[in-house]
Amino acid sequence: MTPRSPADDRTPPDLAGAVHQLRDRVAAVPLVLATPGRDDAVRTARAVVDQVDDYLLPRLRDLDAPLLTVVGGSTGAGKSTLVNSLLGAQVTTPGVLRPTTRSPVLVCAPADRAAFADDRVLPGLARTTGGSAGPGSVQLVVSDRLPPGLALVDAPDVDSVVEANRDLAGQLLSAADLWVFVTTASRYADAVPWDLLRTAADRGTALAVVLDRGPADAAAEVSADLAGMLQRAGLAQARLVVIEERPLVDGRLPEDQVVGLRSWLHGLAADAGARAEVVRQTLAGALASLDDRVATVTAAVQEQTAAATALRSATDAAYAQARDDVDDGVRSGTLLRGEVLARWQEFVGTGEWMRNLQAGIGRLRDRVTAALTGRQTPADDLQIALESSVEHLLRSAADTAAERTVTAWRSLPGGGLLVAGRERELATVTPGFPAAAADTVRGWQGTVLDLVRGEGAGKRSRARLLSWGVNGAGAVVMIAVFAQTAGLSGAEVAVAGGTTVVGQKVLEAVFGDSAIRQLADRARADLDGRAEALLHVEQRRFDELLSGTATDADAAGLRQAVIELARVRGS
Amino acid sequence: MSRRELPLADRLAALREAVEVAEGRLDVPEVGRARQLLAKAGARQALGDATVVALAGATGSGKSTLFNALSGSEVSTPGVRRPTTGVAHATVWASLDHPDGADGLLDWLEVPRRHRHAPEPALDGLVLLDLPDHDSVRLEHRLEVDRLVELVDVLVWVLDPEKYADAAVHDRYLRPLAGHSGTLLVVLNQVDRLDDAAAAACLADLRRLLDDEGLVDTELLAVSARTGDGLPGLRTRLAGRVAARRAAAERLTADVRGAATALAAHCGSSARTSEADRAQLTRALGDAAGVPSVVSAVERSTVRAGTAQTGWPVVRWLGKLRSDPLGRLHLGAAASRSSLPEAGAVQQAAVATAVRQARDTAGAGLPVAWTDDLRRTVEVHADRLAGQLDSAVTGTDLGSGRTPLWQRGVGAVQWLLVAAALAGAGWLLGLVVLGWLQLDDVVPLPRVEGLPVPTVLLVLGLLAGALLALVCRPLVAVRARRRARRARKRLDTAVAEVGRAEVLDPLAETGTDHDRFCAALTRARS
Repeated sequence: MTPRSPADDRTPPDLAGAVHQLRDRVAAVPLVLATPGRDDAVRTARAVVDQVDDYLLPRLRDLDAPLLTVVGGSTGAGKSTLVNSLLGAQVTTPGVLRPTTRSPVLVCAPADRAAFADDRVLPGLARTTGGSAGPGSVQLVVSDRLPPGLALVDAPDVDSVVEANRDLAGQLLSAADLWVFVTTASRYADAVPWDLLRTAADRGTALAVVLDRGPADAAAEVSADLAGMLQRAGLAQARLVVIEERPLVDGRLPEDQVVGLRSWLHGLAADAGARAEVVRQTLAGALASLDDRVATVTAAVQEQTAAATALRSATDAAYAQARDDVDDGVRSGTLLRGEVLARWQEFVGTGEWMRNLQAGIGRLRDRVTAALTGRQTPADDLQIALESSVEHLLRSAADTAAERTVTAWRSLPGGGLLVAGRERELATVTPGFPAAAADTVRGWQGTVLDLVRGEGAGKRSRARLLSWGVNGAGAVVMIAVFAQTAGLSGAEVAVAGGTTVVGQKVLEAVFGDSAIRQLADRARADLDGRAEALLHVEQRRFDELLSGTATDADAAGLRQAVIELARVRGS
Repeated sequence: MSRRELPLADRLAALREAVEVAEGRLDVPEVGRARQLLAKAGARQALGDATVVALAGATGSGKSTLFNALSGSEVSTPGVRRPTTGVAHATVWASLDHPDGADGLLDWLEVPRRHRHAPEPALDGLVLLDLPDHDSVRLEHRLEVDRLVELVDVLVWVLDPEKYADAAVHDRYLRPLAGHSGTLLVVLNQVDRLDDAAAAACLADLRRLLDDEGLVDTELLAVSARTGDGLPGLRTRLAGRVAARRAAAERLTADVRGAATALAAHCGSSARTSEADRAQLTRALGDAAGVPSVVSAVERSTVRAGTAQTGWPVVRWLGKLRSDPLGRLHLGAAASRSSLPEAGAVQQAAVATAVRQARDTAGAGLPVAWTDDLRRTVEVHADRLAGQLDSAVTGTDLGSGRTPLWQRGVGAVQWLLVAAALAGAGWLLGLVVLGWLQLDDVVPLPRVEGLPVPTVLLVLGLLAGALLALVCRPLVAVRARRRARRARKRLDTAVAEVGRAEVLDPLAETGTDHDRFCAALTRARS
């Protein structure tokens, strides 16, 4: 219906697609770790998504849609009064209680009703036609006092004590083609509105600033000061309107104070070229501002990725240390030798005999002792001792790793919040660990037996013969000593020990030195593997806490979407 | 208030005690803040009981106008340009006897621009400050407000009908000052801009906001600096506070309460380590210290010594070929390191688990800051454990190595028996010589029960010796076991003592400190 400006003609059809893709990527970015830049980035991401949904996509789809003019500003600045005065009718309720406007009011001409009744713009806000319905909805008022091509929105306060109002005001402002920013003589230097004005400057939003309640005697001085501030903020092209503080007429501003602003707005509505210029300026600014804002989000994503990597590597380091500890314990101690030898003797079948012999002598000794002292001596179960040794080792390593991880996480960005409140639970092993550790040790012992069996299958009889020989010789010596000492010295133990040493020598003689070392190495490797699996289960709960954190792919996706958008805009 | 208040000095002392306990133990920011508060309280108390009242508010709320109305002259220049006041101004109502009493106070507050008000009995000792705007675009104004808000005794928040619901004032200042409701006064300025009904509604709405923020006790006044409405009321309120000369103490009391409440977030319930933990710790430490090796060495050494004493002299020398198992461990001198084997990975793991268990029991009811301290405490002490354990083991008296009397007796008898056997053998040898010389009939051969005495001597001497050795064996073994058991008990005691000194005592000390900390905080908050 109106001729398009040349700028509009260049807008390619897939610009909306590129913006949509960027929006989806930004919306999907997981910012779960509490890194320093997270809150900022979450806010920015939400603002980007909102602006794309509320403004960019609707505007790109229909460049000729009516101009959405948002009247925004500080609490108590007189926004509602201004809107009513511009329309010359009471459409929204001003008051002395703050915040006054709790849900926005959208006023449009009857001809434009269709453009705002559906969710083309502000899809997140429900439309109501009755009274105020609270945040989350927008009240739609049709007024024939407004020319077609222009819609006015009375926005909530940008600095209200009610947070939902502040957020909604920000959302509305980012959806506007044109801001009419209302401030007053007493608060034009407030920090919060200026943050928003600077945002407008950054985004190149078309802007008009209304200085309300200008004191009659100092209006010129104040407006000059404000104009200077606007200029310094890079908003020199913003239209500045001063409304003097005068008694209200019928709850509205005196006609002579608003006529200028109204005729300017009506002029925009009537002049398609000027309107297109406003639309073009805001649209181009909004598109250009996406780069920086998405860059903020991208930086936060990278920060998240780095934080997650640091947390992950802290966990990895702690559990790698745990594996090393277990390995060291197995390697340095007599654990492995004892275990392999025990399995070997069991396999060859001579272990039983030696044990019986030793047990027999022990029993005799115990019986004599018991007869003399009336006390039974408990027999140590070596097997149980061995099992619990490895379990001790695993338990301690896993506990230490968990504790180290929690300590490291608490000092890393984003980690403290992940473990907060669960420190005690996370700094020890999982409840299922003792049972799993016992299973691991039993499984390992079974494997060692299999290893020995596999290794010694062909050499069994020879080994047995030799073992019998060694053990027989040992037994002869032992019996001799027993006879000499009446079985009551420690000598038989020494002989048994010696026999064990010789037994190992036999083992080495049968298999060869390298084979026995290999056997021990394989047994160790098996235990290491099992310990690793066990510790991996322990580590998983920490890794799970980190699942869903941002990855490099997220950052790359964002960057790529920005490049794509720039390419489409440039073409 | 009807209930008897704890004097500020006692509160401060209690907070100081809590801070002293917490320092070096708790790694939380609240401790530093409490320490700062103590420094501030000391400085403020030294500067007398004048009342520092600050007018704070948003840009354009009319602070300066109100300040001038109260001061009675144009001290602070109100302006139409924003932001206005950049530095704080002060008006001092000095009494005649202390004309410059407030100078030290203002130096401490770092307020350079001062104005002296003519003496006025009702307000004598009042120092009124006009603060910069807290919500302007100028960051330094905000920082100056933040600094002074911490220091002044009474805060008068000046709000106006336009801005009374700004997030900047409510979220940033009023809500965090909920604990200071007594030292606050909220003034709704510029009521002349509203009609009566609107002013009443506005005041009610502001009252509701304040109540929601926990400022129920805070008085709310409507004034107009321009027309002078409500100013006498405000003046009366200020005069009341000035006359009471308690404003500084009340402000500090509220501060102490706030700091103590913040610290009290780190209070829990301390627990003692359980008997099972202690037993497990002693066992693990004993294993790591090589107690089983020592005990077994004691037993073997005793058997060896006993055998050497009571054994059959014919073969008992063989035992001496083996070295003394106890001697090999070099346990004699407490100062030097023993030759006990180093604790293996398994023993160390067991100690670590036991220490952790004891620590977790002790910290079961404690907040994280304290469990962190427990962890640091036992980590430091666990490092010294190995050396301590070794000297505990080497320093333990393993029981007397003296040969018991009966063993000496048996030894003597053994030698007698050997002598008898030798005598018998010598005699028989003599008989052989005599026989060879055909003189065996010359010397009569005494007989016992028909057996020749030398033969009896020889056979009985040998047999009885062997038999005696055999009979003594179990007795020696019994003694060896008893000695080993005694040694075990003593070693366990020594090891338990090390565990107590190096692990349990530090843990208990932390628990005690925690209880002291919490008790002090309860006093500071009462």
